[in-house]
Amino acid sequence: MKVVELKNVYKIYKTEYYEVRAIDGISMDVKEGEFVIVMGPSGSGKSTLLNLIGCLDKPSEGEVLINGVDTSSLNDSKLTELRRDTIGFIFQTYNLIPTLTALENVELPMIFKRLSRKEREERAKELLRSVGLEKEMNRKPNEMSGGQQQRVAIARALANNPKILLCDEPTGNLDTKSGEQVMEIIRHQNEELGVTVILVTHNPLLAKYGDKVIRLRDGKIESVEHVS
Amino acid sequence: MFLELAKRNLQRAKVRSLLAVIGILIGVMAVSAIGIFGESLKVAVLQNFEDVANELIVTPNLQEGYRYIEEMDINRIKKLPGVAEVIAVKSDSLLIETKKKKSYAVIYAMDEKNVEEMFKAEKGTIRLKGSCVVGKRLAEFAEIRVNSKIIIGGKEFRVAAILEDSGARFDINPNSAVILSPEDFEKVSDVGYTMLIVKAESLEKVDDVKREIEEKINSRENKVIVFDLKIILERINEAFSQINTFLMAIASVSLLVAGVSILNIMLMSTIERTKEIGIMRAIGAYRSTILRIFLMEALILGLIGSGIGSVLSVAGGYVIDLIILQDPSYVFRPSTLLYVIFGFCIGIFVAVVSGLYPAWKASRLEPIEALRYE
Repeated sequence: MKVVELKNVYKIYKTEYYEVRAIDGISMDVKEGEFVIVMGPSGSGKSTLLNLIGCLDKPSEGEVLINGVDTSSLNDSKLTELRRDTIGFIFQTYNLIPTLTALENVELPMIFKRLSRKEREERAKELLRSVGLEKEMNRKPNEMSGGQQQRVAIARALANNPKILLCDEPTGNLDTKSGEQVMEIIRHQNEELGVTVILVTHNPLLAKYGDKVIRLRDGKIESVEHVS
Repeated sequence: MFLELAKRNLQRAKVRSLLAVIGILIGVMAVSAIGIFGESLKVAVLQNFEDVANELIVTPNLQEGYRYIEEMDINRIKKLPGVAEVIAVKSDSLLIETKKKKSYAVIYAMDEKNVEEMFKAEKGTIRLKGSCVVGKRLAEFAEIRVNSKIIIGGKEFRVAAILEDSGARFDINPNSAVILSPEDFEKVSDVGYTMLIVKAESLEKVDDVKREIEEKINSRENKVIVFDLKIILERINEAFSQINTFLMAIASVSLLVAGVSILNIMLMSTIERTKEIGIMRAIGAYRSTILRIFLMEALILGLIGSGIGSVLSVAGGYVIDLIILQDPSYVFRPSTLLYVIFGFCIGIFVAVVSGLYPAWKASRLEPIEALRYE
């Protein structure tokens, strides 16, 4: 089953003087449970592609379908609910809320979903334990290392049991060891729990984790490689 | 949790939040303290009128041919429910003669007790047995002193007292008059009762008494005219309320300034937290959720500022009342404390309204634009 489908998608930024085709006519699909790595040089459109799939941005042309639903047909509230319930985001810069503790950061998506306090606390603790942060639950982001912060971000991304995990250079700011830890957690989610993963990276070493590697150049798909 | 989030965001910029709170605090304090003072002043002025406010003046209807009020009617009025006291007054204009001057003056007939209650002697003591009391202006004009003799309507009377200037009154004006006892009055004049001062048991009963008199005495013919002094009280009340509203409107300019400062710091906060707003939107916060978080922050600023401002306004009102009215007890009347509640509510209202635009602006941010913000 296709969880993500792009049909002839363009994302064009126009100013008075020039035009940038960040995504230049991409069609692709991702099946349920797939682990897709998107690679390409800077400016190739990787992050833009991820933002379009994550409903953070809208295409200039073409269709983006999530679970078979055309996202352009959804209003802001429906898109918000889709991001909240179906998609989990992991960013290169972690993007935690600095005033909240690790536990509270993980609870946040569940608060937005109006889960009860007890329910969300239990789930947040369980998630933090699963990423190895049981001792850091009450720390604020600035009291944690980059690797720890990224693990909190992963726990937050998984809070509402998303079907799709979108990772934008998740190891980009981490040392090798922390990077491996993070990748192991993501792989675990994919292999054990069947979460579909789309991961954008510069790092060729991460290609080994994927079922499929898509290479982008100048907003176009250069190649699709299936990893056996 | 949103409350907690709002609280922590405010704590993040402590000085800025504190300044906003101080702004609201000053505004609320100015509005409430001035409101308290205005109300206190009104109460103080009204208290001066309270002793005449429950009075009704009954006069014969001259137009209908009634020169005097009949004794029978006076007795009926005395028995009406709600009537505390009836002072029956006779008055006539008679020639008075002193050693140096001859003049016409109004002569009142009143009981000694009533004269003592209503007026004060400037010189001498009020005594009406075989003697009279003279109003200040008449005494000055005719050079009358205590113990001097005056001839009224051909009879001689000793002056027992000169009265203090009573100011402008609505019932009896003794400044240019002479007051005699009813017995002595009968010796010089044969007029009947020209005025009744009817005192109601309380201010609330004035209307009932007025209606009763009109119904009972004027049932067949319009024999008397009834005039109540309560209406004067109402006019004063109205005038002071208008002055108070005006003063508070001036004070509320400071609240307006406070509102602008909240608007300012919240707009700054929106810009500073653009990325956070983007993160929250990315992980599933509705626009309305962002709006709520920001409004909550404005509400907290308003609540703290208005709370402290209200407490300080009572202290401020106390000091102003103490200095200007020399009586701080007015502050603690329910009608006065109402202004504290009013100031509190206005403070919160200003804070929330000022927070509306920044909150709305924050909620309209596109998630991707907000996330890109550094």
